[in-house]
Amino acid sequence: MIITVTPNPAVDKIYWVDQLKMAKETQDEFLTRARKSDTSAGGKGVNISIFLSRLGVENVAMGFVGGYVGHVVVRDLRDEGVTTNFVWVNGETRTNVIVLERGHEYVPIMIDEPGPAITPEEVARFLRRYKRMLNRATWVILAGSLPPGVDGDLYRVLASMAKEAGARVVISAAGDALGRGLLAAPYIVKPDIRETPVINGLPLSTRSEIIDAGKRAVADGTGIVIVSHEVTGDIAITADGVWEILAPAKTTEFKNFVGADDVLLGGIVHMLNKGERLENALRFGMAAGMMSAESDKKICSDLDQIEKHMETISINKL
Amino acid sequence: MKVRDIMTKDLTSCEKDVSIRELIFILDSAGVPNMPIVDEEDKVIGFISEKDIIRACLPGYFDMLHTASFIPDMNQISKKLEQISGDPVEKYMQRDMIVVTEDDDDLQAAEIIIRKNIKNLPVVDKYGRLVGQVKRIDLLRHLL
Repeated sequence: MIITVTPNPAVDKIYWVDQLKMAKETQDEFLTRARKSDTSAGGKGVNISIFLSRLGVENVAMGFVGGYVGHVVVRDLRDEGVTTNFVWVNGETRTNVIVLERGHEYVPIMIDEPGPAITPEEVARFLRRYKRMLNRATWVILAGSLPPGVDGDLYRVLASMAKEAGARVVISAAGDALGRGLLAAPYIVKPDIRETPVINGLPLSTRSEIIDAGKRAVADGTGIVIVSHEVTGDIAITADGVWEILAPAKTTEFKNFVGADDVLLGGIVHMLNKGERLENALRFGMAAGMMSAESDKKICSDLDQIEKHMETISINKL
Repeated sequence: MKVRDIMTKDLTSCEKDVSIRELIFILDSAGVPNMPIVDEEDKVIGFISEKDIIRACLPGYFDMLHTASFIPDMNQISKKLEQISGDPVEKYMQRDMIVVTEDDDDLQAAEIIIRKNIKNLPVVDKYGRLVGQVKRIDLLRHLL
């Protein structure tokens, strides 16, 4: 059983607009009308859960939810066939707003709320439930930001518990949560480089920086480090070598980039979980991520399209 | 159709040492009328509903009354609820609960829900671990 943990889930509210007027440009009162909109459960782990469920992979989504928005998240996940096991908290689950302007969909405007403050009692309640779930876990995916009030050490603690229970651990996060999570030597790490292109204090901007930082993390015990380098290319570093995964896509043709990175990681885990070789898993993950970015929908899971797209992905050992 | 095809795949539950105050918070937040109680291996060991908590707050002679007019006011119940709010759910949970497995027929689940007049029925796997619940609305949704 695959378990995803999203400590700070969200509802993603996506607006498609013809033109986004900015206050600093108009210097006047203005109204931007959305051409269409979409509301769906979001957050890195939640996106992965939905993608896996659409592929027919049983999985359980865990984390903290609260208030009206929390109910929307849980309901959406259940409708997608995901098993839910969230701890209910006092605050309100966050809403993240994404604006996609016609012709500029590849550079979405994203506004993320911080999320509800979580109390130590709520964390303790979660840990008890998480420990019980580990009895059934083969993979644990720890993904996304930590909500206010949660200690930056959470991913390290959860990763250590999961490893002790015999599960493979994946961490997709940034900053302190990722840095400390690395101390537990997870199986896969995918740094979120949108805000802080850094892993363990090492920069992740150029190809050589990514490779150096990845090799360092692998030397410290991480199995596979996967880093997005440029939008249509990723670099994977393991003890066996370094691979560059390239997609022939034009970023200007992206229609909805939201969640594409999570689909990529979900695709890799899905294939490894099936016993596929890493190279094939990377190819599938990249194809799935690209298909998602090129589709209007937040998460594209058309298996035929993904498999067809796999042929266009090139993998070079560096 | 099998239970697995109609159940709500939700594992919201609590342990037997959770307090009544905490349980009320979970029931209220999750919007559910009752909750399975599980052990450290996620095996279902009991069941507690809003009704069980209300009953625990009523005077022992309540069942013998035809109306509630003999109870002076809600303060009495409120005080009792405050008294028991720190008690573990174990003290008030139903131990002779009924469960179904994922592989049982939907008709079997429906019969239990109707005959026992319960809103949610816990669903367990072959190891007795919680995997979901069948709710009355699940049955109606799938019958329509």
